[in-house]
Amino acid sequence: MQELFVNMGEMAALKSSGVLTTVGLGSCIGLTIYDPVAQVGGMAHIFLARNPNSEKAPELPGKYADTGVKALIDLVESLGARQRRLEAKLAGGANIFNNLSANGLSIGQQNIIAVREQLEKYQIPIVGEQVAGNKGRKMRLSIETGIVIVTSVGQQPVEI
Amino acid sequence: MEMNYQQLDFLKELANIGTGHATTALSTMLDNKRLVIDVPEILLISFDQISTHIGALDQIVAGIYIGVSGDIQGHMAFILDFESAKTLVRSLTDNKVDISDELGQSALQEVGNIMVTSYLNALATMTDLFLAPSVPAVAIDMAGAVWDSILAGAAVADIITLIKTMFTADEIEISGSILFLPSEQDFGRLAQSLGMEAY
Repeated sequence: MQELFVNMGEMAALKSSGVLTTVGLGSCIGLTIYDPVAQVGGMAHIFLARNPNSEKAPELPGKYADTGVKALIDLVESLGARQRRLEAKLAGGANIFNNLSANGLSIGQQNIIAVREQLEKYQIPIVGEQVAGNKGRKMRLSIETGIVIVTSVGQQPVEI
Repeated sequence: MEMNYQQLDFLKELANIGTGHATTALSTMLDNKRLVIDVPEILLISFDQISTHIGALDQIVAGIYIGVSGDIQGHMAFILDFESAKTLVRSLTDNKVDISDELGQSALQEVGNIMVTSYLNALATMTDLFLAPSVPAVAIDMAGAVWDSILAGAAVADIITLIKTMFTADEIEISGSILFLPSEQDFGRLAQSLGMEAY
């Protein structure tokens, strides 16, 4: 079985079978979008809410929520998914170090808000999430079933 | 971004002295056990390569994070693998406290604080810059989650400037690293404060 690892700022998509995995989500967001009819799924490991240089497209579009959500939609559509059938799941956005925040909101919280906004913009419903808190997470998407398993240190895996 | 050998040497020397002060502080807390410092690494890593640099992303590590403000903005962290962190807490408390206890984590936080403050004091003295550390925070979690939170806190762009020094204490099997991430523009100021051009 094919398992693709999605590193920080990256994204990947698969069709029919295989697993997409991202390990070590702290304040970052693991975002999956899945089309159950086409059996196509994609995953992004989103680092921050906004591309700091709006004049220039980032080297890794998946790095920021404001460029990554659209880029991930394009990627799964290139494998046969349809935007209107897509369902999203989110993991991450934790506050690992309680002294890291900006404007009163933790970076994790800002990331959660930004990803939700983008999903709303493209009318993709969020059907499951494991976000916030103060624990790092690992996220795995099964392309065959669309099931996402989220694991944290010292805790039972959770299915979303 | 390009630097010549002389500039790299200066920055390495800075990291070496900073880490020297930090490990001296740690050694004092550990009844003068001998700590060995590796040659500091000045790393300019492209963002998409950082994951390969972290090692096993799901390995559990202890991380103490401290922000730096004042004349330059930056981020410092003291990271050690879980076994080292456990050994360190036990050694510091005469085997009385475990890392899973709240007290154990405060001990770790305090050690990180003392080490980072010693490093910064050495840096401030050499560069004549005012450097103020933030309150420390400790996390015991997957390496990937600890790193991604620190890097997101630093809002790193396409290139990550990282000054990393590893050290080991052979008598009690502790190894860890001290990381300093100056913001990109302050990397230049740091170099200038040593009387050289950074770019």
